[in-house]
Amino acid sequence: MDKYLELKGVHFNYFTRKSEFNAINNLSFCVDRGEFISIVGPSGCGKTTILSLIAGLYEPTSGEILLEGKKINNIDIGYMFQKDQLFEWRTIYKNITLGLELKDRSCINKERDRIDCLLKKYGIFDFKNKYPRELSGGMRQRVALIRTLAVKPKILLLDEPFSALDYQTRLDLCDDVKRIITEQEQTAILVTHDISEAVSLSDRVIVLTKRPAEIKQDIKLDFTTDLTPFERRKDVNFSNYFNYIWRTLNEER
Amino acid sequence: MKKGNNITGKYQHFLKAQKIDYLTTKAYQILLLMVFVVIWEVLTKVGIVDPFFFSSPSRICITFVDLVKNGNLLQHMLITLYETFLGFIIATVLGTLIAILLWWSKKTRDVLDPYIVVLNSLPKIALGPLIIIWVGAGMSSIITMCVLISIVITTLSMLSSFLSCDEDKILLMKSFGAKKYQILTKLIIPYSIPDFMSVLKINVGMSWVGIVMGEYLVSKAGLGYLIVYGSQIFKLDIVLTSTVVLCVLACIMYGIVSLIERKFKR
Ligand SMILES: Nc1ncnc2c1ncn2[C@@H]1O[C@H](COP(=O)(O)OP(=O)(O)OP(=O)(O)O)[C@@H](O)[C@H]1O
Ligand SMILES: [Mg+2]
Repeated sequence: MDKYLELKGVHFNYFTRKSEFNAINNLSFCVDRGEFISIVGPSGCGKTTILSLIAGLYEPTSGEILLEGKKINNIDIGYMFQKDQLFEWRTIYKNITLGLELKDRSCINKERDRIDCLLKKYGIFDFKNKYPRELSGGMRQRVALIRTLAVKPKILLLDEPFSALDYQTRLDLCDDVKRIITEQEQTAILVTHDISEAVSLSDRVIVLTKRPAEIKQDIKLDFTTDLTPFERRKDVNFSNYFNYIWRTLNEER
Repeated sequence: MKKGNNITGKYQHFLKAQKIDYLTTKAYQILLLMVFVVIWEVLTKVGIVDPFFFSSPSRICITFVDLVKNGNLLQHMLITLYETFLGFIIATVLGTLIAILLWWSKKTRDVLDPYIVVLNSLPKIALGPLIIIWVGAGMSSIITMCVLISIVITTLSMLSSFLSCDEDKILLMKSFGAKKYQILTKLIIPYSIPDFMSVLKINVGMSWVGIVMGEYLVSKAGLGYLIVYGSQIFKLDIVLTSTVVLCVLACIMYGIVSLIERKFKR
């Protein structure tokens, strides 16, 4: 199979006035089309930095990042953040069409049916004329996801998108996000320090070392295909994977 | 209020309590003003306080009527209002435009930073005599004074508001392929509207300060002129009457800005 997203020997150094320090060290991995991978690692190891690199926000100090064999461009990616970053002054509908509006006004009309379809399918249609402040935290994150998917990004980056939510909402939202991403055949990279989240959502988990981040383990998860994240949490394999990753994270190099 | 789903007695009670709370506050506010006016009047009538220096509410009323009839008070008011309005608009628009420019170009921002700090801490009134010489004694130097006083703070407040926008929001815009002007018009400006409203409110006060100060320095008309004139001929009735009129006008202007603000908040 052709490689979809490919990181080749990526190094990254942060330059500050006082010093230069190595945040990412010789990182190489691939992501297939439609694959959902998670990156877990200790706090401050450089997870957000990896996403910023993939998003084209920083240039790698050396190495390269390719999408379908070409250098990645920041309009190829969709971003979902810890906070939903909805625009308070726009209605839900206007928030969702923001990306289309920025690309090309005329395509809002062309895509109206598809957007309406997305809204209906994921239970947002009734809220479309409300403002973000009228929605709950979990609902807002759903809107944020749909907003990103509306522009059909080639790759979706999720930076701890559930960490600002309470436990109950988080479990519900995990199920929904997974369902939406699978149905839309979206390639996604999730960054988290919650191992159970990584194991319940993804096809593959990459475990990073402490800074400078290197790959410690790349673990393919083998579950019966159609389990929801919530069902996965009850699966026997779940605790095996969980313990394995937990040990890997904590063992000394 | 929520769309009329079963309003309970307790809720109505709560609404009533809220209303009463609001009304009593208002009542006390009015009462306070009345008490102040009455004490002022009584103290001057009894002679504990000399009305020659402190005037009195009744004398202010008489002076007011007199000034309207014989002293062109209305014209003075209009002139001051006109100057204030112009100064207010120019300072707000220009200040915001400069803030946008500084937001746009980080280099300009960094280069100008120390100068803006100096300008901000400089007491603008010190420039008064210079302005009169450069701009000429007249309405234009009064307005210049006013603009100088509020423009720096407008620029600084708006710039800090622009810069306080969440980096992730900007990243989001970029991931949608937004150009810089789109980030400005679709994100930064709408994001800063609430702060812009507070700047408007501050500028109302600032413009009045600027205009009255300008009028002290140069004018031949306007409320500030009337105040200076009154004190020169030792008619403190005129001074205090003009001050009261100033207060009322400033309050009205502030009220209008508050109304606009409420419109935007929805
Ligand atoms: N703009 C920056 N300039 C300099 N150093 C930075 C910058 N951003 C992050 N760092 C440093 O780089 C390291 C990696 O940061 P990063 O945010 O990628 O970690 P993370 O794994 O996402 O952490 P967390 O789990 O806390 O989100 C940290 O030590 C951080 O202090
Ligand atoms: Mg992070």
